[in-house]
Amino acid sequence: MLRKAYYSILVILSLVGVWATFTRLSEGLKVSGLTTYSSWGMWVVFYIFFIGLSAGSFLLSTMVYVFNMKQFEKIGKVALLSAFFSLMAGLVFILIDLGHPARFWHTLVYRQANSVLSWEIQLYLLYLLLIVAELWLLLREQLSKLAKATEGFKSIFYKTLALGYSIPNEQKVLEEQRAKGAKWLKTLGIIGIPTAIGVHGGTGSIFGVVAAKHYWNSGLTPIIFLVSALVSGAALMLLIYAFMGPDNQEKKSLLNQLSSLLILFISVDLLLVASEFLVGLYSTIPDAKEPLLNIAAGPQWYIFWLGQIGLGAVVPILLLVNKNKTALTSGLAGISVIIGIVAVRWNLIIPAYTSPHLEGLNNAYIDPRLVYEYIPSSIEWLSSIGLIGLFMLAFSAACILLPVFKNEEVELDHERQSKGLSTSF
Amino acid sequence: MSSKSNEEKMDRRSLIKAGIVTGTGILLASVIKDQPSAAQNTLGVNIPPIKELPKNIADDDFTRMQKELLKALGKEESENHWIMVLDQRKCIGCVSCTVACKAENALPPGVVYRPVIEREIGKYPNVRKSFLPRPCMHCENPPCVSVCPVKATYKRPDGIVSINYERCIGCRYCLNACPYGARQFDWGEYYTENTPEIQPYEKVANYEYGKGRVRGKGDSPVGNARKCHFCLHRIKRGILPACVTTCMGRATYFGDLNDKKSLVHELVGTPRVMRLKEELGTKPSVYYLV
Repeated sequence: MLRKAYYSILVILSLVGVWATFTRLSEGLKVSGLTTYSSWGMWVVFYIFFIGLSAGSFLLSTMVYVFNMKQFEKIGKVALLSAFFSLMAGLVFILIDLGHPARFWHTLVYRQANSVLSWEIQLYLLYLLLIVAELWLLLREQLSKLAKATEGFKSIFYKTLALGYSIPNEQKVLEEQRAKGAKWLKTLGIIGIPTAIGVHGGTGSIFGVVAAKHYWNSGLTPIIFLVSALVSGAALMLLIYAFMGPDNQEKKSLLNQLSSLLILFISVDLLLVASEFLVGLYSTIPDAKEPLLNIAAGPQWYIFWLGQIGLGAVVPILLLVNKNKTALTSGLAGISVIIGIVAVRWNLIIPAYTSPHLEGLNNAYIDPRLVYEYIPSSIEWLSSIGLIGLFMLAFSAACILLPVFKNEEVELDHERQSKGLSTSF
Repeated sequence: MSSKSNEEKMDRRSLIKAGIVTGTGILLASVIKDQPSAAQNTLGVNIPPIKELPKNIADDDFTRMQKELLKALGKEESENHWIMVLDQRKCIGCVSCTVACKAENALPPGVVYRPVIEREIGKYPNVRKSFLPRPCMHCENPPCVSVCPVKATYKRPDGIVSINYERCIGCRYCLNACPYGARQFDWGEYYTENTPEIQPYEKVANYEYGKGRVRGKGDSPVGNARKCHFCLHRIKRGILPACVTTCMGRATYFGDLNDKKSLVHELVGTPRVMRLKEELGTKPSVYYLV
């Protein structure tokens, strides 16, 4: 019943999202509430949110496939899968933010070595390939089994995803392939760590390098991006495993470990926020002080105090330190953190637009598009919520259709490793 | 029947086409022959450039700038460094430069290349207004150019920061990178939107960068970053920028900084000179006399 309601809501949201996105693409950016002086808004907020979610999930998956932290093995595949869908969501959000979405390919053809954004786009593609390759290596055996076990359309679906891979008949060959696969996984994971850090630290640098915006122009910006990416990644894993993971004895201990990890990341994030505020507010330079004052005590104070601090830190920590917590409370803590991180992302972008470039520029020419304020339009709200629904639907469907919670072959491999046997033949 | 008339039409069409091609060819040939060497090929509009000024013309600053412009155009493009000098003591805040710029470039709502910032200085009885027109600074180190992911915006050899409209993807990174708020965005709006009809004056072509473009849904410059370009299409034909010719207080000067005998070179050498946000190291090509 609950499941049915969940999927119906997601389907409705998806339809709304597709309609709103279509309206946005056909009508152009005039349907947005963006202005020349507040030129990035909700879509960019969700773009960095999803890129962060992706990088966070990916980095968690490397704990399994690179650092052999067996306790997190159960979430390895689902972490990679969410890294994939989050990345796709992030890319869609930045695509619909472009004035000329049809020219997205220009970024691949006309490259500019001095532009962080140019490098980032290349990096996103490399990162996408890495995730897909890792997922294939992890799922190919199960997929080819499923392709054999099912019929008709489903069989074709699994066969396509397995890219034609089929399990060899001889056990020895299979063992060899598994060993090779594990090696590749490790290699890809090792390449993936700097890539994921580059993907999100680099996304932070897009803002960090802008000398025109005092609020962004800090060496701390990319680090805050990265740490809050880890926070959101850990929260998503907690949420997914609490609600979708198989119910067994291990579940509780895994949730406990994820909780401690999440609390650690949140603490580091809070430390960075505290540092940013203490240093910034001490300053007498208006450009340094005003955005921070605006965040904490401006008209949208609640985004910081209720969203970023309340939902992002206080509520989840209170929920998670409780000794008698259930899977449900862990899951709720995860949701709370994720909403909190949306607030973090909002506060990373929007407050940068509070003070005019030059004193008096805000009154120099009166036009609704030449103001230092941003109120998202209904199309922005609908497309954002709708697209989130669409990607949640796709991800949930993938979690059911794909064998992401089964771990046979990898477990075998790790047993082998832990017994000190060689993995290569 | 219909196919025959179609054929006839085709015939007529191709005839007209041929006529246009030859006509343009002749026109182009004559233009190229007449043109001072450096002004060639950067712009496609077939208006012959001004070669010399009429005789018996008043000998003032304006004529001097006009003469110096023609002289500077005789040099190689890379030997020009176009700058603007704005005298704040002469500026009366009439905003006619803003209007002239809007008209010259057929700018839509939400796009303004040259607003005039008004400030009140002092307290009664010692109070006055100060006016600061703010075109694009055409920085020597333009932060907008280095952030562009597709090299759609670039610094020309003559110092003008330009935009390749056909390449720009509209990501608005440059709007964020500009410390002066000079970068604008074409949101695709019209003044007479939501009225029975979008008026013809909104459908006229602008000739920015020397190419006639009519704004339409999804067509450049809609969805592009836009900015002041020192009226490149005018100066390449020997005409001063629209804001300069229209300035009734003669507060706006334009010229080639590389010409040591030019008026702008003289003005930049006075102690009243300053540039905006020097501390950022952008090195603007727009100077203010305070």
